[in-house]
Amino acid sequence: MSEVVFLVISVLTVFFAMMVVRADNLVHSAIYLAGAFIGTAGLFLLLKAEFVAWAQVLVYVGAVVTLILFTIMLTRKGEAE
Amino acid sequence: MTNAYELIINILTALGVYDMILDMFKPSGTEFVLKLIIVVIELAVLFAFVLVTVMFLTWMERKVVAMVQSRYGPMVTGPRGLLQPVMDGVKLIGKEDIVPAKADKFVFNLAPYLAFVPALLVFIPLPFGESLIISDLRVGLLYIIAISALTPISILLAGWASNNKYTLMGAMRAVAQDISYTIPLALAAITVVMFTGSLSTVDIVSAQSGTWFGIIPKWFIFIQPLGFLLFLIASIAEMGRIPFDFQESESELVAGFFTEYSGMKFAMYFLAEYAHLFAVSGILVTIFLGGWNGPVLPGIPVVITSLVYFLLKTYAVVFFAMWLRDTVPRMRIDQLLNIGWKIMIPLALLNLLVTGFLITAGVI
Repeated sequence: MSEVVFLVISVLTVFFAMMVVRADNLVHSAIYLAGAFIGTAGLFLLLKAEFVAWAQVLVYVGAVVTLILFTIMLTRKGEAE
Repeated sequence: MTNAYELIINILTALGVYDMILDMFKPSGTEFVLKLIIVVIELAVLFAFVLVTVMFLTWMERKVVAMVQSRYGPMVTGPRGLLQPVMDGVKLIGKEDIVPAKADKFVFNLAPYLAFVPALLVFIPLPFGESLIISDLRVGLLYIIAISALTPISILLAGWASNNKYTLMGAMRAVAQDISYTIPLALAAITVVMFTGSLSTVDIVSAQSGTWFGIIPKWFIFIQPLGFLLFLIASIAEMGRIPFDFQESESELVAGFFTEYSGMKFAMYFLAEYAHLFAVSGILVTIFLGGWNGPVLPGIPVVITSLVYFLLKTYAVVFFAMWLRDTVPRMRIDQLLNIGWKIMIPLALLNLLVTGFLITAGVI
């Protein structure tokens, strides 16, 4: 049972991590990054490390991704040469 | 009994049907399916409860505003207008779902779900009563704070994806406010954790049972008055209600970050907002106002009385938030941020320091 869950979560995490670098739009990248972080938190949960998992969600998804989104939105989009 | 799962099994056993149901699954070795079914039933009950509560809260909000302004409020649909939220829901479902032409469609469609799901997830470790809790997480309070920290992302994405200057401004304000008020909120909650030595919501509630001198209940509001005040102000700011409703201040920003949303997606933001109002009030009750603790009445099961006490206290807090909305004017964004960073956070840190000293010195 837990192997199946592990497989699903890891595939999703790797997929999201791949999409972070593949996405054309920076905001989309940031969303995928949030997905990858949540996937990592899920892996921590599988290891029964609840505190680390929710601290991961709080710090990385709640703060880091928000700040990244904030920065992307407040700066001018690079014009094509 | 510790959670709702065991409560359901106990009820089934008392009815004498649990063994019968278990026998149906046992031969094929699929007991985990039964477990899964019970969990799904629990979550469905919780979801239905939240939806009904949200509908009731919208009605209550209108009635409280009407009461303050010497009006009747909704009166026509149903007894005293009680069916008004149903009509509103039908109206919203029937509306056209508009996506602005220049909007980022993927993000625009994703954002309401990102607001709605955390608003429901917060209820998982919330003790509605003795053993009326979906799951008693060991790090319940951290979980609640972490899940609440997900809402700004949704707001930011909604504001940006709508491609509208008002939505973007509303989103910026909302996130600046959320980030600056999460810190005093968490710091105020930590002082309570220092007393209980546990992040579990059930432990926090049971630490508040009993009384001093037989009259004063052992609620944390009496040990931590400053912490309570900080938590109350910060949670009203987190909810984004007047006097802190900059994210949607209608006289300046049309409707803030969800200006461009219509139909079901607007309804989802609406649902998330009221679910959040109820959840934050419930958390405030759990941490500072004794949770489901109250005088035990003979002859009535504790499950029922505790649920009644919890709902009474939570609705008192909800009523306070609504009352505040009707009597206090909106602040300015610079005032809000000044109060957050220059007054609330230093006070919260001071509170933490003094509490730490007092606990170490063994005074409390």
